[in-house]
Order: sequence, then structure tokens, then C-alpha cells
Amino acid sequence: MNGIHDLGGMHGLGPIEPEADEPVFHHGWERRAFALTLAAGAGGAWNIDMGRFARECMPPAEYLATGYYEHWLYGLERLLVEQGIVTRDEIAARVDQARREDGA
Amino acid sequence: MTWRILKAADAEAVMRKGGSARIDADLAARFRPGDAIVARNINPPGHTRVPRYVRGRRGRIDRDHGVFIFPDDHARDGTQTPQHCYSVKFSGRELWGPDAEENHFVYLDLFDDYLDPA
Repeated sequence: MNGIHDLGGMHGLGPIEPEADEPVFHHGWERRAFALTLAAGAGGAWNIDMGRFARECMPPAEYLATGYYEHWLYGLERLLVEQGIVTRDEIAARVDQARREDGA
Repeated sequence: MTWRILKAADAEAVMRKGGSARIDADLAARFRPGDAIVARNINPPGHTRVPRYVRGRRGRIDRDHGVFIFPDDHARDGTQTPQHCYSVKFSGRELWGPDAEENHFVYLDLFDDYLDPA
């Protein structure tokens, strides 16, 4: 797929600036997103290449505006829905619930 | 669909084991180190690991990594299509034109199905 993930050779994205003492995760939710993706992958409903392709399917504007683990979450949600394990409505309901619990 | 449950107690062992895509098969390699190749100009709608900037470009096999699952087929329907994967060397000038630095080279891991003899 000639998607936005294939950035090699593209100009205008600025220099790569390595972070000193870069942590594995920058936010607590990234740790959870990573663990959720691996735990769900261990379920065996898809393989690693299907997982990569799911992340590549993120709409291009959204892909560029979001970080690495947001790509992971997008891919995980997409696979869970495609496989009939959860529905979009269930994800939306859980997001609403989490927002209410946070008082947002 | 069968859906296995990863138990917390098993998580560490499963993560440490990992999941290698290497396949223990005695498959003939289409190329040998030093062979001149051209990357196929393929534009599949599904997953592929051949970057756009190398399609149609000429390079040379640097080394043979061995036999692996072919990601393009594996991503589509789980088919493994085992084949050799090589480190392939491309010059910066081949990829980016005459303005590229002379001593700039890119090494890409590319599968048999991405390559033709040049």
C-alpha cells in the first residue's frame, strides 16, 4: 500500500532529533496501549504483518498528526472490529465512560 | 474464530520467546551476494515492505539473511510463502540522482519476490 507510513525520501519533515535518555514510554497510556496490543495479538486472531497493515490504513492526515502509540491503538481497534471481537459502539461507549470517570 | 487468552502468569515467558519470522527450510536462493538486481516496481494495495523510493532502482545483493515468511502474503491471509530475504545495497546516486553524495549507500532488507536480475 502506497500509504503515508512510507515516508522514506520525503522532504519537509524536519531533522530527526534523538532525545537524551529517551524513556520507553512518554505517557502511562502508551504503556497500556503497547501491552493491550501484544496481549490481543497473543489471541492469535491476526499475525504481526496484519497488525502492521492495520496501522498503515490510518487516514494520512490523522497519521501525521499523531504519535507512534496512537498508530498502534488505531491498528488494534481496527483489527478488533474487523475480527468481530468488539464493535465500534462498544469502543465509543467505553471512551465515554472513561471521560465521565475522569470528569472531563 | 479461535481466540486464545494470554494469562498474566504466562505473559513474561511468551514475550521473552517472541515470534521469529525465520523459517527453517532449505529453499534455493534466487540470488547470491554480489548479484546485480533491480527492485520490482510493484504497487500492491495491501501490505508490502519494499519502499516506494527503491522500486525500479538497481542495486546489488550484499548478503543473504536466510528464509523468512513473506510479509505481503502473510498480511493478506496468513499465507507464509517462505523465501530468502537479502540485505541489498543501493547507491545514493541510484536512489536520489547525481546530486546525492558519492559515498552514500542504503541497505534494504528485501525478499526474493521484490527482485529481478539486472
